[in-house]
Amino acid sequence: MRGASAATIALFLLASPAWSQTAPPQKGASAPPVAMPYANMPKAAVPYGRFRKPYYEWYVQPNTMAYDGSARLEPDPLLSSLRAINIGFLGPLDADNPDSQYGIPMLHGAQLAIAEANAGGGYRGKPFALEIHDDLPLWGASSMEIVRMRYDQHAWGMLGSVDSASTHIELRAALKIELPIVDTATNDPTVTETRIQWLLHNFPDDRQQGYALADYIFNQRKLRHVGILRTTNRYGRRGTEEFFNAARRMGFPPVVMEKYAPGATDFSLQLDTLKTLGLDGLVIWGDAGEAGRILKQMRAMGMRQPVFGGSRVVYPEMLKIAGPAANGFVAIAAMDPDRSDPRWQAFRRHYVARFHTEPDAYASYAYDGMNILIAAIRQAGLNRARIMDALRGYEMKRYEGVSGTAFFDYTLNNIAPVTFATVKDGHFVYWPERRTDWKGKEPAFMK
Amino acid sequence: MRTRWMAQFWRMAAMAVLAAAVAQAQAPAPKPAHTPPLYTHWINYTAANGFPAGEVYCVTVDGNRVWAGTSHGLVLIENGRIRKVFTPADGLAGRVVMSVAVDHKTGSVWAATFGGLSRYSGGQFTNYTNLSSGLANDLVYAVAVQGRYVWAATAAGVSRLNTYTGDWTIYNELNSPFEEPWAYAIAVGEGKMYFGLWGGGVLVYDLAGHYWRPYTDPDESMEIVLYRNQGLIHNIVSSVAYNPGTKMFWAGTYFGLSGYDGRDWHNYLTKDSGLVSNFINGVQSRGEMVWAATQQGLSELDTKTNTWVTYRPANWAALDAAKAKEAERGEILITGPHGRKTRLETATSLAHNYILNVAFEGRDIWVATADGLSHGILQSEREEGNHESAAKRR
Repeated sequence: MRGASAATIALFLLASPAWSQTAPPQKGASAPPVAMPYANMPKAAVPYGRFRKPYYEWYVQPNTMAYDGSARLEPDPLLSSLRAINIGFLGPLDADNPDSQYGIPMLHGAQLAIAEANAGGGYRGKPFALEIHDDLPLWGASSMEIVRMRYDQHAWGMLGSVDSASTHIELRAALKIELPIVDTATNDPTVTETRIQWLLHNFPDDRQQGYALADYIFNQRKLRHVGILRTTNRYGRRGTEEFFNAARRMGFPPVVMEKYAPGATDFSLQLDTLKTLGLDGLVIWGDAGEAGRILKQMRAMGMRQPVFGGSRVVYPEMLKIAGPAANGFVAIAAMDPDRSDPRWQAFRRHYVARFHTEPDAYASYAYDGMNILIAAIRQAGLNRARIMDALRGYEMKRYEGVSGTAFFDYTLNNIAPVTFATVKDGHFVYWPERRTDWKGKEPAFMK
Repeated sequence: MRTRWMAQFWRMAAMAVLAAAVAQAQAPAPKPAHTPPLYTHWINYTAANGFPAGEVYCVTVDGNRVWAGTSHGLVLIENGRIRKVFTPADGLAGRVVMSVAVDHKTGSVWAATFGGLSRYSGGQFTNYTNLSSGLANDLVYAVAVQGRYVWAATAAGVSRLNTYTGDWTIYNELNSPFEEPWAYAIAVGEGKMYFGLWGGGVLVYDLAGHYWRPYTDPDESMEIVLYRNQGLIHNIVSSVAYNPGTKMFWAGTYFGLSGYDGRDWHNYLTKDSGLVSNFINGVQSRGEMVWAATQQGLSELDTKTNTWVTYRPANWAALDAAKAKEAERGEILITGPHGRKTRLETATSLAHNYILNVAFEGRDIWVATADGLSHGILQSEREEGNHESAAKRR
């Protein structure tokens, strides 16, 4: 009997959609402030931490994202006048855009969440509809999309984007036109450092990745003379900044930072320079294909140093290009796809059934982000400020999603521990971040 | 008969005593010494009297005309009456109007919109967009007229139009020291242009020398202010103003207020001043005064006496929570140089506490709020005298 019940429960867990659409937590007006360093920053990486206490610290107060505008006064529309509850989507989708490798899974994750929400009754009987906008690679070319979403399509919120420049442009506009944004794909940590009250972000950003990598390289692997090789685009520029600063503050400033143009295939010029420096290790910040070629060319040149990377490298393309040269490579992964938890497995099954391919991190975070947004709309009703209030309910709270456990700080950024991946025998093997300054396996706020 | 008369007498006497008590209770507290003249009377333009509902992003005064940029178009107020609401149907480039500038030589009105830059002249709009001109991007946050040039701050850099030749120049990270190309604000100085940049601090362009000077946050960390007057308080600058009287420029940020006098920086946070909120949408300065348009009210700093005055609706918290639909009485918070606080109430109020910008009409002030436009009138000397008398009487 007990076995039958357990089997029934297990069957239910496996058969149900990812059921992440639980209502957002209510923001407790009297909840005591949580004292913790901003962004779960290691003590050794605190700016000027060795010299003085800052005059003022941002992002650590409960009112960091307080909104005092008038949008809550807007009356809800008559539900019967609406055909659907529109949600905007901005992501790189055109096949010619290299970032479409992230944008298309992101779209699919969002579409799956919408389909499941509609199967569950939509919003009070009205279906959710995704208004899809392509994020063009040219700087600023997609800037007007958020205005169209807000005023032409009457979207109640939006998901996007991958590119941090586009996301910043959306964010600035969102402050003025007051449209909630759930960003599920950009790595740029400054997106949640603007105090603009209209964004929640759940993808592990480069600040979290940089801290994890710096602790691993300098405290756990005990390397000292490390170099950086990065793309010249904004992803490479901003992405390495946090690692670079953390390394410098920990007392091990990177010896050199070499750069390459996005999509480069020949790295001999940069590697010749790096080879002469006798580095202990090298950090790559770029895409998977570039990292695969760098590894292959490094090893062919006889460079045997350990190599590390950011989350965009952890893709099968890297393994395919690098071949045996990838063995031992360590990078931050945006999530662990080898998890056996039923939430992830159910999502994976449904995703594969619908899109005939395995979901990646971009699909998973988009699915979670869309579920968070849908739950906020269901809780708050059709008022954009109240929807954002519902999203603010996640401050200092966890969210269990298909991508793992998120924890949102006072800036509504996910600061949960990241995942590491290493290449063993041509495959990625994953393990959870364990920073040396934590007492135990996780930081205190995750317990 | 006599009894009825006596009863009526006592009833009236009781009412008179009660009225006197109420009047005394409502009389404003004494205004502290060194307080600048106060705006005690507000006339509001809201949806209730035909003004577009919702956000007013900017306001510009041109003689007896007042231009207001809103989320529903460009509003013209003439002699205190709403004359016209221009929308894209009238030819305006976009419905969301972020900034308005008047070319006093030609009479042209320039509007920065989310949809491009518009020029209103001779009763017609001419539009400039990313595809049809040298405008760097169609999200235009600010516009300013400087001689023959019109400058526009956009999501992809600063554009400059030479109105004599029609030539455009774009300034961005490729040809100028922009950390990021996102521009938010413009102020015209004396021989200099001041730009507020998103993530890039304040950039100053010398018009004669054609060179740039950046002012950025010296601690280079988004998450801290290292020293109080360290330099620019934060790199995310939402607004900038130049004061020709004091030769100072002021930067409003979502992280406090910064002023630079050519030698020293003067930074203000809620923790060390009477600034009501660190989230500043707009800044203006004239004479010895600086106005910070914050999300919790309009804060005014008298730099000579270091006295702060903040205006907002007395029921602002209820407005924020949508528990009240409109502002009722006004609230004035005065913070003296030593931190002593005084609170006054006024019968009229700003339309909302979320302030986006201000402009001046003589001694009057116009305030763009998130729920209407407010016209503030200074307390007259006679009125002030009455208040003082009331205080002395107590």
